[in-house]
Amino acid sequence: MKWNIQWTLNKRLAATALCLGFLALIAGNPHEGGRYEIDSRELALIVDKEIDHVGALELADWIIQNKADYRLIDLRSEKEFNEYNIPTSENTTLTALETYPILRNEKIVLYSDGGIHSAQAWFLLRAKGYKGVYILRGGLEEWKDQILFPRIAENATKEELAAFERIKEISKFFGGTPQTGSNEAKSDVSIAMPKLEMKTPAKQGTTARKKKKEGC
Amino acid sequence: MNGPFYKYGMFNEEISLIVAFVIGIGFGFFLERAGFGSGRKLAAQFYFTDMSVLKVMFSAIVTAMLGVFFLSWMGFLDLSLVYVNPTFLLPQIAGGLLLGIGFVIGGYCPGTSAVACSTGRIDAMVYIGGIFAGIFLFGFVFPLFKDFYYSTPMGSITLPQLFNISYGTLVFTVVLMAVGAFVMAEWGEKKMAQKKGAEL
Amino acid sequence: MSLALDEKTAMTKEEIKAKPYWNPYLSGIGLGLVLLLSYVIMGRGLGASGAFTTTASVVVETIAPDYARNNEFYSEYLTDGTRSPFKDWLVFEVIGVLVGGFISGALAGRIKRTVEKGPRISTKMRFVFAFSGGMLMGIGAKLARGCTSGQALTGGAILNVGSWAFMLMVFAGAYALAYLMRRQWT
Repeated sequence: MKWNIQWTLNKRLAATALCLGFLALIAGNPHEGGRYEIDSRELALIVDKEIDHVGALELADWIIQNKADYRLIDLRSEKEFNEYNIPTSENTTLTALETYPILRNEKIVLYSDGGIHSAQAWFLLRAKGYKGVYILRGGLEEWKDQILFPRIAENATKEELAAFERIKEISKFFGGTPQTGSNEAKSDVSIAMPKLEMKTPAKQGTTARKKKKEGC
Repeated sequence: MNGPFYKYGMFNEEISLIVAFVIGIGFGFFLERAGFGSGRKLAAQFYFTDMSVLKVMFSAIVTAMLGVFFLSWMGFLDLSLVYVNPTFLLPQIAGGLLLGIGFVIGGYCPGTSAVACSTGRIDAMVYIGGIFAGIFLFGFVFPLFKDFYYSTPMGSITLPQLFNISYGTLVFTVVLMAVGAFVMAEWGEKKMAQKKGAEL
Repeated sequence: MSLALDEKTAMTKEEIKAKPYWNPYLSGIGLGLVLLLSYVIMGRGLGASGAFTTTASVVVETIAPDYARNNEFYSEYLTDGTRSPFKDWLVFEVIGVLVGGFISGALAGRIKRTVEKGPRISTKMRFVFAFSGGMLMGIGAKLARGCTSGQALTGGAILNVGSWAFMLMVFAGAYALAYLMRRQWT
């Protein structure tokens, strides 16, 4: 008798499995990265309050400290990237971003020349369910102004001078040339962009970045 | 809320080790419940007298597979963040054959040997000694067949990607195959029992 | 120590005391749910052989530190010394497996100091087979980058190509040699 009950249980289990399997067949594909609904108000708020912005100084600090919990992505063309890029960055374009190997749980910092391209990429990634997406405020332009070629007025106060000393250090780290004086004659023409000294990481998938294997 | 929790930074590595321990307890518990602490029961699979290995393994695969599919379909689990061990076809085929041979000779696989060991099977303890010897040997001669070890790489690839069909189709196929195998296993066990009865 | 005698008396006792195993399908579903939980919480599956490899690597490192660190295989499982290599997910998981197996065995009265074998083989021979089987398993698991838990079960459920190839081969290998091994088990 007991055997009889057992058999019906097994049959029931098999039927359940078949039903669920059939549902899977109809469902087709699982949603890549889950289902995300875009909350436009939330996005607007984020944009408005600039929560998703990273300042040039902040980013410079991260790079100096060798922080590894984020990925820096350069959205300019390959040619521009090869001429100069922020150390540790990886290059991809807006169109290639969709297939670029970044994961949804990664912190991503985007930059382009100004802010437009990275802002567009930001929306693209947010819509696809990426949560930790940030933009370098002011893009490469601001990076140049603040880090590579910082400038201080001659009539600066003591506090400003003290703060500038720190920026000078940072600037030197990135091979920049800090300048004093508001002399506009010393225009950007005379200052060369720093040469690429720090090796940028080769394009690598996320598995290569993992320190420890997850396999058996 | 989105899974996998750990990959979204919901807890740190220290806690992940506690999670590992708890999940391990569950794993060991159900292995023992199924009778996989017994080498004889495991080996019986290969003599068609007790098909528990096949039944347990495939019901586990089907359960987890359906769970993963529907959770990710509902948007609860991000499948792209679940680790897929990269495929190296030839070494894995060779390794599978060796492992199968080792299974029928030794009577256990690494996971079940741990359960057998903690339930007092002395042969399982000897077997674990053998695993260590095998790993030492492998590490020792590794430089010699390193090329083979890294041959035929296919990357992290799944069957739906390989056959270019929908994930759901493959899930359904696996369920069909598994249920078919279960029916055959039940039938085979009955036949073997009858045969044994006739011999006695 | 007369193992053979011990075991005979143990076997008879066991048959009286030990509770029957669970329905294999239910155990399988339980196992599958544990695996699913591991995916949802950790984003990875189960494993076993990795913990053995970590242990082996540490043993090699204690005996010959330079050799271990220069060997491509062992060095992967070692750390730079700032943290213990045993602070590893799989190591903790396998400790859990030992505990979980013990809990289940104790609840069902299945904890027995015994040797698993058929009636036609001596305990000594069984040990020889167990050891050589374990050795083949160790080599095979490393070659395949995982064992029945890490590859077949874990990869099987997420439809990993290599895992399915591996799984079919495990059954093929075992069935191919089953006839030669029949004296050990039946």
